[in-house]
Amino acid sequence: MTASLSLRRFLPDRATLIATALAATAVWTTAGFAPRVVVALLTQALIVSFLALGVGVLIRLSGLVTFGHAAPFGLGAYGAAWALGPAAPFAPEIGLVAVVLGVGVLFWAIGLVVGRVEGIAFGMLTLALGQAVHVAAGKFRHLTGGSDGLIVDLPRHLYGARTDALQTPFGMLVIAAVVLAVVLFGLRSFERTRAGRLAVAIRENEERVRFLGYRTRALKALVFALSAAIPALGGVLFTLHQGFVSPEVLTWGFSGHALIMAILGGTVALWGPIAGALAFFVLREELGGITTHWLAILGTTLIVVTVVWPSGLAGAAAALARRLGRRVGEGGTA
Amino acid sequence: MSAIFRCEGLGKQYGGVVALQGVDLELERGRVHGLIGPNGAGKSTFIDVASGRSQGHGRVFFDGRDVTAVAPGERRRMGISRSFQKTSIFPALTIRDQLDLAAHGAGGGDATEIAGMLGLADVLDRRAEEVSYGQQRLVDLALALVGDPKVLLLDEPAAGLSVAESQALAGHLEEIAARWNVAVLLVEHDMDVVFRICHVLTVLASGRFLVSGPPSEIRSDPAVVRAYFGSTA
Repeated sequence: MTASLSLRRFLPDRATLIATALAATAVWTTAGFAPRVVVALLTQALIVSFLALGVGVLIRLSGLVTFGHAAPFGLGAYGAAWALGPAAPFAPEIGLVAVVLGVGVLFWAIGLVVGRVEGIAFGMLTLALGQAVHVAAGKFRHLTGGSDGLIVDLPRHLYGARTDALQTPFGMLVIAAVVLAVVLFGLRSFERTRAGRLAVAIRENEERVRFLGYRTRALKALVFALSAAIPALGGVLFTLHQGFVSPEVLTWGFSGHALIMAILGGTVALWGPIAGALAFFVLREELGGITTHWLAILGTTLIVVTVVWPSGLAGAAAALARRLGRRVGEGGTA
Repeated sequence: MSAIFRCEGLGKQYGGVVALQGVDLELERGRVHGLIGPNGAGKSTFIDVASGRSQGHGRVFFDGRDVTAVAPGERRRMGISRSFQKTSIFPALTIRDQLDLAAHGAGGGDATEIAGMLGLADVLDRRAEEVSYGQQRLVDLALALVGDPKVLLLDEPAAGLSVAESQALAGHLEEIAARWNVAVLLVEHDMDVVFRICHVLTVLASGRFLVSGPPSEIRSDPAVVRAYFGSTA
């Protein structure tokens, strides 16, 4: 009975199943019926949402804000280019997985160091890290192609399937959505494990956790690694879709945009940063058609969202759901 | 009976200010040892140095072993547990989850029994931020109790509680010390609680040891009266 109870923790509840079905329907409908330009936009947004999700996971589980998470996204993108290149030591299928795991391990080690500080100091260290990787990508031309970037030739097949679909907006939209759903389920399951609850406990009161008998540094580094592996996965999808990677994906501005997406979407729900990424891309597209100063309007929007809904779109949705729930409850009892 | 927890010459200095100087103290299993003194006497500093929260002078022994350099987490797994003056819990986690974490961190223990004893059984599945302040203080205490500790260092567990809640807490502490054979160090301002349950009292004043003995002697000790009230009148 205990085993079935603990297993139940990891099974999706009814609300999650409904949300998943709605999201799947939305993706399928968009992919099938929306204009190609809209599908292309959403595909880009979904790929970048891996980066926003990584930033959001770090805020949600550690309370730490990063200004350099373009680094794992870029390392994933370059790593995919190397894994698919002629000099790759492994088969592409193994190489792509190794890239994501490798970025995770690298950031676990980095997390052991940067996790010693918090707040502004942590943010500055991540900014420095991101800039270091960006500069390195420009300097090591033989590996990265410098500012010209790398063009990637995809093999005809990957994991037993044809790769043509990866470079069409429709195909990548569906694949990115499926991978993202798996990542979300994995994160949700992690949060329900003892390690996930411990991560939240460390976020809330690290000293008390130490006095409960735990060593906190390794787990903080694990959360940092997790938050980096997700963008690395997004970087791999980016390269598979674009067939090209350049230092543009490593700029601090890209890291900043990801942070805006995470704040816009909110981190009270795992899907918040993804909603933030979609909102960011739609706003950018719509505002970009009106004025070249779209960033100023986006900045104003961010200020308004931060003041009115400090917990972002996800927080606003949760508040709305609570209000509706109360109203339904009152209606039922009346 | 031999002491399970012994502090020798504990001291602490903040810049030029001496907060604690050369304080010795011994704790025995099954007994509650009160540490009292006026504000600024060094009581919380003593617990912080004794528990490894802050570095100071002197040595700490547990079960005959020098644990002065042992990290707080390791001390917890050995059986030395503490609570904090300011409620130190995890507001976003359910009480069940945090007690489970505490039990796992300490290497085992029955969290449900502790929750039942402290009257938290009905709120186990509520987040700590959703329960009353009194219940949050009990959660703080429960986190220290889970995992069968041998030594409990409690820093003002009754702070902010009502008279009735303080008395209930005193009953729990008395039971814990006696039934589980735990050595308890109690720093507390509520003298009703202190004189009701403590077997021995140590009084600090201005960071220094003043006097130690049974509560009945301490209550009428002229030095204690002077330290608290500034005169023997």
